[in-house]
Amino acid sequence: MIEFKDVTKTFTGKNTVHALKGVSLKIPAGGIFGVIGQSGAGKSTLIRCINMLERPDSGEVWVDGILMNRLSPKELRQARKETGMIFQHFNLLSSRTVFQNIAFPLELAGVSKDKVRSRVGQLAELVGLTDKLQTYPRQLSGGQKQRVGIARALATEPKLLLCDEATSALDPETTRSVLSLLRTINENLGLTIVLITHEMAVIQQICDHVAVLEDGVLRETGRVIDVFTRPQSQATANMLQGLHGSKLPAELRSKGSANTLVRLTFIDQRAHQPIISQMIRTHDLDVNILYGRIDQMKTTPFGMLLVELDGTREQVTEAVQFLQKNQVEVEVLSP
Amino acid sequence: MINPVMLSMLWTATLDTLTMVGLGTALATVLGLPLGILLATTAPKHILEQPLVHRALGGIVNIGRSVPFIILMVAIIPFTRLLVGSSIGTTAAVVPLTVAAIPFVARLIDGAFKEIDPGVIEAAESMGASPPVIIFKVMIPEALPALILAVTLTAVNLVGYSAMAGAIGGGGLGDLAIRYGYQRFRGDIMLQTVVILVLLVQGIQMLGDKIAQRLYHRQ
Repeated sequence: MIEFKDVTKTFTGKNTVHALKGVSLKIPAGGIFGVIGQSGAGKSTLIRCINMLERPDSGEVWVDGILMNRLSPKELRQARKETGMIFQHFNLLSSRTVFQNIAFPLELAGVSKDKVRSRVGQLAELVGLTDKLQTYPRQLSGGQKQRVGIARALATEPKLLLCDEATSALDPETTRSVLSLLRTINENLGLTIVLITHEMAVIQQICDHVAVLEDGVLRETGRVIDVFTRPQSQATANMLQGLHGSKLPAELRSKGSANTLVRLTFIDQRAHQPIISQMIRTHDLDVNILYGRIDQMKTTPFGMLLVELDGTREQVTEAVQFLQKNQVEVEVLSP
Repeated sequence: MINPVMLSMLWTATLDTLTMVGLGTALATVLGLPLGILLATTAPKHILEQPLVHRALGGIVNIGRSVPFIILMVAIIPFTRLLVGSSIGTTAAVVPLTVAAIPFVARLIDGAFKEIDPGVIEAAESMGASPPVIIFKVMIPEALPALILAVTLTAVNLVGYSAMAGAIGGGGLGDLAIRYGYQRFRGDIMLQTVVILVLLVQGIQMLGDKIAQRLYHRQ
């Protein structure tokens, strides 16, 4: 659906910033695609290159077979009408009521008054704000404002929704409800969602695919489950540490135990099977569980264990092979 | 204390001042608004970014604002004559008042637009709004309370300027205060005109505040 081909963008000024350094990326249609990175990684520029709110210095941005860089201002406005966008700070018009805010893109599209009324009604229902249509944004909470933003972005039935740090200004509870709304929209309306965030939890909760951006460079991209369980880059591993609690406590590392410390990751059906107990029985070694958790990646169950394997070298090697054969991700941490 | 003749003079002078201030403010707003819009939208990173135009306009506005009113008034007498056929009287005074207020209004309006959250304009752009749509459907409605206050400030300023315009035969309260209050040593008339001017300014400001307050939906 969206393809970046070697896109670069540099901001010149007092401090020259190379926001994007040759990013090539494919975003498939229909799913939820997350771009994660620290602040200053270039993700905000990246998402703005999709609808040309920022123009790349070089490279190509394709959306649905259209080369966005080449569009005339008029064509670009038309293309933008087919793309929704929501923002970290909501960016609602303070002089307009909720109804008028949601109606704004419809006005731009020249939709008749009657149709505007029924469409706004539908959208308000979708985001759960039917009783707030006549209030002004100032009277709404952050979560409600973002719901208005979402309704507004969906008004013209776009095929693509861009989310610029849409939950970063919200508390965890509200974040969850806004994310689940986005997921519902993605599933029911079948539109593609591209979101940028600095929170791994957001990616984990709703994304199918993820791209990791660091210093304007794409470090890796792939299915969330793959990137989370087998991070290929240091940047990804660093960001995952906070989420998984998988950083080894210093005390354990320095203990210098003779036992082998491994991290096991169970995905999907594996998370339901008694693999550890089978391993103990078939390989006759002791297992000491240091840390464990089970979680979900969007809808996929996902478990993580930090264990010590106590046995002879051969026993341990065979146990690891056994685990791998059962499609458990094994990472030997020490010795 | 106030005889009927004086009363009628005060009344006429007040009406003249109101005419000058009202017409001056209205014309200056009509002519200054496009200038203010242009000034705001041609700024760096704005919807009609044009650095050269922006700098040129800014320069012109600053020059306009730095010419003292009394000098401007005299300097444009030929222009005033060309426009209204005379350089004396209330109607004639409207011309220099308007000319002086245009750059003032433009700068205030530019300032009012700068207060708009750039994110709101970006959101409108992301929806495919054209620059005229952004100006009329986003910028002006969003800045409306600030625009009303800008016009109010202009009107208050013009009350002061109109008194100066009285000095060269513009009529109005300033004229009355100088001719009777000052030149004929009528302290009572001086006081009365000043009281009316004070009330006028208060009234204008209160009205402006009230309208702005009513339109204000921002946090």
